[in-house]
Amino acid sequence: MSAPEQPAANSASRSRSGALSAVARYNYALLLLLVFSVEVGVSIFVIRDMRAASVEAQQMYARSVLGLRQIGELQYQAQETRRSTLYALTTNDSNLQVEYADQSREADRRVTDGITAYLQQARRPNEIEVGQRLQHHWFDYLKVRDEVLASILEGSIKEAVDLDLSGGVPSFERVRQDLDEIKRLYDEQASAQLARVGASSRRSVSRLIGVVCFTLLFATFSVWAIQRGRMLAAVQLAKLQMDFVASVSHELRTPLAVIRSAAENIADGVVGGKDQLAKYGSVIRNQSLQITDLVNQILRYASTRDRKQQYTLKPLDVTAIINSALENTAELARGAGFSIETHVEPDLPSVMGDSAALSQCLQNLVGNAVKYGGPARWVGIRAFLKEGQGSREIAISVQDRGIGIEKSELLHIFEPFYRSPAVSAAQIHGTGLGLPLAKSIAEAMGGRLAVQSKLGSGSVFTLFLPVLIKPERPVGQEVPRGATVAQK
Amino acid sequence: MLRSLDRLLIVVVVVGWLLGWGNHAARASVDQPNSSQEPLAIIVNTSNPVDDLSQPELRRIFLGERSHWPNARRITLVMMEPGQPERKALVTEVCQMNESDFGRHFLQGVFTGEVFVSPKTLASPVGVRKFVFNVPGAIGYLRASDVDSSVKVVRVGGHLPGDKEYSLRIQPSRASK
Repeated sequence: MSAPEQPAANSASRSRSGALSAVARYNYALLLLLVFSVEVGVSIFVIRDMRAASVEAQQMYARSVLGLRQIGELQYQAQETRRSTLYALTTNDSNLQVEYADQSREADRRVTDGITAYLQQARRPNEIEVGQRLQHHWFDYLKVRDEVLASILEGSIKEAVDLDLSGGVPSFERVRQDLDEIKRLYDEQASAQLARVGASSRRSVSRLIGVVCFTLLFATFSVWAIQRGRMLAAVQLAKLQMDFVASVSHELRTPLAVIRSAAENIADGVVGGKDQLAKYGSVIRNQSLQITDLVNQILRYASTRDRKQQYTLKPLDVTAIINSALENTAELARGAGFSIETHVEPDLPSVMGDSAALSQCLQNLVGNAVKYGGPARWVGIRAFLKEGQGSREIAISVQDRGIGIEKSELLHIFEPFYRSPAVSAAQIHGTGLGLPLAKSIAEAMGGRLAVQSKLGSGSVFTLFLPVLIKPERPVGQEVPRGATVAQK
Repeated sequence: MLRSLDRLLIVVVVVGWLLGWGNHAARASVDQPNSSQEPLAIIVNTSNPVDDLSQPELRRIFLGERSHWPNARRITLVMMEPGQPERKALVTEVCQMNESDFGRHFLQGVFTGEVFVSPKTLASPVGVRKFVFNVPGAIGYLRASDVDSSVKVVRVGGHLPGDKEYSLRIQPSRASK
């Protein structure tokens, strides 16, 4: 791989690993949510299909099975009507004959009621047609039956038999055929509904299998993605830690080398005279301070990561915060030959925050601006009031006209220990903790840290802090009532 | 011997007197209908066009001397079993016979061909009512309280059983079941 291809490949690898690490970060919630959604979807489908199948089965039972049972009852009662009439032929006892006539009439009433009920529930034209035909034929038969009964009771047995043979048998045969046709209709309906229930059941099973397969595939992929994301995140973390150790070692090596060299010169008696000793002492002190600052920054970041840092929030004057930060970075800026231009809007409202922490946050931003400010050697600091929809914020921006940041890097610059490959290649030293620490402090104060950057043109880091709703006198003018909150 | 004939004569006279007294008493009770006596309703099938019958017409019908109704339907007589108060009232009041004469009349009439219809005998008022309901040409009788809408009550001599002038009534002493 050639030199220019290397950063591009690194960038692609980083973006892929970033996406996977994002998956890994929200792994459980994401997986559970998606699996739950899929399961809910499956359940809804299955419940809907089961309900449809149940309704179909109930309809089939209500219309077909019960219908067939009703028709069976009608057939039996129709036979009973005829049977009782014919029983009356078998005796000369008028009392028995009347009893048989009574039984026949009871049975015919049940048949008539059954036909009426069938007609009331009939919906299809062919059902209505056959029902009406049955009713017509049944009444025809009853007329003959009444005549036959009357003849039997009168004692005219031959006449009764003749009447039954000529009228009763054919009309009852028509009734029987009608009942058979109704039964056939019910059978057809039952078959059709059975086919529908079968199709619905098959559809449910297919859906169930399909969605279960999809769920399994999805879950497998999710687990793979999570595991891979974790692995990449672990690899990335290890790499970052190694980079951090190397970077810190590098940062420590230079001042330590200077201190050792100065000490050797003093010990070897090379340094002579009070002025030279004072100069060496100053060098040793400055290098020691640099080491101390570095160690303090690392410890501070470590304490924010452990969530042990406590901040004392007080109403603060914005100008005082900026001045404090400028005082602490003046030597750095001066040493690097940077000019700092400050513009603070007059009459800015106070903010609630921890003075030392906010000063440290701004120092980190100014230090970054000096470090990456490039040949322009200019840093601009602005403080202004930003009013949005229902919110008022104090914005403190730190701008430089340096090398800027690539768009793809913007996603990572607030990650701890992260250092841009371009910066590392340019031999610009750092720990990768300055911006994460500044962001952590901003969020602990209820604010936020934003960045705008254009490669080759410079960057603007803006610290937004919420305005104190009830104005209080800032620190220095009155002893404020402090509030202590745990850092988020 | 004479003593024996005297004794037989006395027994015959006493029995005859007793029988004559019974008939006289029965006639007296019929001749003077009591409003507390329950009326005997004459019923026909609801399809029968006849609404009114005179006492002589009724007698001819119940003695089997008439075979068809005006609508050409064959007449079927429906009687209750012998011993029933309703039957006794009909035989006495309508046919003006006693039970044995009534039975003898039909035996003789069927044998000679003078009677066209022999009566059907039912055991209960419900049976009578159902029979009349089932047979368009049937005619029978019931206590007025046993009548329902399944049969039609015909006027006798222009009167219905509820009328004061209605003549067919059941003897109270013998109406108890």
